[in-house]
Amino acid sequence: MIRVENLRKEFVLTKKLQKEYATKDKVALAVDNISFECKPGRIFSLLGPNGAGKTTTMRMLSTLFTPTSGTIEIAGIDAIANPNEARKKIGFLTGSTGLYQRLTANEIVKYFADLYGVKKEDYERRKEYLFDLLNMNDFQHKRIGKLSTGMKQKVSICRTMIHDPEVVVFDEPTSGLDVITSENIIKLIRDCKNQGKTVIFSSHIMSEVDLLCDDLAIIHKGKIIFNDTFANFKAGMQTENLTSEFIHLIHQNS
Amino acid sequence: MIFSIFKKELKDTLRDRRTVIMMIVIPILVFPVIMTVFVKISTSFTEEAMTKSVNIGIVNNDKSNEFVDRFNEIPEAIGKRNLIFFKDSSELIKQINADSIQFGIAVPADYAQVSDSTKSVELKVFHNATNVGMDERAEMYLNFIEQQVKSKRYRQLNVNEQQLKPMAVDYQNVASDKETFGKLAGGFLPYLFIAFGFMGCMYPAIDLFTGEKERGTLETLLTTPVSRWHILIGKMGVVVLSGLLAASFTMLGIFLTIEVFDIIKEPRLLEIIHQILTAKFIFMFYLILIPLIVFFAGVMIPIAVYAKTFKEAQSIIAPMNAIIVLPAMVGFFPGIELNITTACIPIINVVLATKELIAGTLEFPMLALSFGIMFALAFISILFSYKRFGKETNLVS
Repeated sequence: MIRVENLRKEFVLTKKLQKEYATKDKVALAVDNISFECKPGRIFSLLGPNGAGKTTTMRMLSTLFTPTSGTIEIAGIDAIANPNEARKKIGFLTGSTGLYQRLTANEIVKYFADLYGVKKEDYERRKEYLFDLLNMNDFQHKRIGKLSTGMKQKVSICRTMIHDPEVVVFDEPTSGLDVITSENIIKLIRDCKNQGKTVIFSSHIMSEVDLLCDDLAIIHKGKIIFNDTFANFKAGMQTENLTSEFIHLIHQNS
Repeated sequence: MIFSIFKKELKDTLRDRRTVIMMIVIPILVFPVIMTVFVKISTSFTEEAMTKSVNIGIVNNDKSNEFVDRFNEIPEAIGKRNLIFFKDSSELIKQINADSIQFGIAVPADYAQVSDSTKSVELKVFHNATNVGMDERAEMYLNFIEQQVKSKRYRQLNVNEQQLKPMAVDYQNVASDKETFGKLAGGFLPYLFIAFGFMGCMYPAIDLFTGEKERGTLETLLTTPVSRWHILIGKMGVVVLSGLLAASFTMLGIFLTIEVFDIIKEPRLLEIIHQILTAKFIFMFYLILIPLIVFFAGVMIPIAVYAKTFKEAQSIIAPMNAIIVLPAMVGFFPGIELNITTACIPIINVVLATKELIAGTLEFPMLALSFGIMFALAFISILFSYKRFGKETNLVS
């Protein structure tokens, strides 16, 4: 379960950043009082155009950023007061995630298992399960630098899931990936749902949302402009397809 | 948890060819290469000086040729030479400039007459100052002839030479050979250790912090339930170890130069080096080197965290090499010693303490003060690194 209430994030703009963003404002508001809830066994999609505040929200959920105000509850833990406890429950994967090029697939998975404090017997069991599931046994001893993009993505998935997280956060997980490689991610998200995990993923690709989503929130300029089930979103559509409806909503709230 | 991070980062670092070259290969090779080149050059210079025949021009108006006779009496052990005679100095100068003649002496016509009297003979020596050492060679020959003429005059005047020498001075060096070597040449060793310690830290610092950001792995690492302190200390441990390894491999290079490659042949120098390189020296040396390397790491890490790309970090840290390592050159100057003032100046205190350590004259209070200063700086640099590492803005690209 993820419960977010009145979440707000401001960034202080240094002179360098003011120049970079061509603004005189001393503070940039990235997320403006948003609230939503993601339930176990359901896939929650956070949809929004570029710069809407999706990544900032995901980074606050995964405890990388501390919110300016508001509350975040991850699997019953106050993530702001106890970030380390919350992190134990989270698996985090982004499209821009990199891997250590000079380590092997095996070494990376073991490293993250150690960081998450996974016990040796649990690690062996989880590793066997995930390596078989993702068909990773053949390249487990190869260094990451020598793997294809698809193989690397599988290692990233394995690293994310090795500690069997209750909550999985995917920040634009398929960005930059081809259709075949994206398929691994889609499958992973579905598996997580089937295992009763809480899944949140951010995207701006409507086809992915259509494929996976149970609940939907649309974020624009830091504010939530839609928050309901995906079935209700579809039922209330005023345009002919999902993409047009998304654009229509964004324009309406600009 | 710190150990898990340290182990992984060390493995990752040791698999980076660039780091291994900077940390192991170059430090091991630098001293043997420098010493081989130095020994070869100095040997060839000595041999050349012994075997090279110098062409000496004589503008000889001395009809009796007495000066030439004296010149021919100079033993060949002082240096081989050929005498070439000129009628005037203008042609001689031309030939000196063309380097076919190395130096020339104009001898007056009344040389024999004046030499036999009690007056001074006026000799002119022509030389080209860019031809290094030729004026000294001329001085050496003329001193020899002058001594012969002096002895002849003493005999003619019936004077005992000893009577004109009221003092016989014997200079006794009370410093041990080790101390003399340490104070005069001991600055070179800490310079090498500091320079390589710095370079040894540089690539791992950039790779483990900026590289983590550039590769997109930092975000993932920070979502794990490991405190930032533990991550920082685990990574910093590898940076410090790399710097220490680079300094240690420099020491190994020195050991190989002396014990394996047999480059230094001078037995007295070898004996002094053996006296210096003791277990106590190595222990004391690490005692003062460790806080210095931690300080280096603590200075580099905030820069590496701030930089967005490997190139940016390298472009900031590499010039710092000059700022940080240049003070280490202070050790080259004899006379600058470790005192309360110099012990408070970072880096310089390490160089001077090492120099005193080599010379065997290091005083404990000065060592403690130097160590204390470096330890405090290292601690501040760690706190600063932590502050920088913990910033959210590191993730905003």
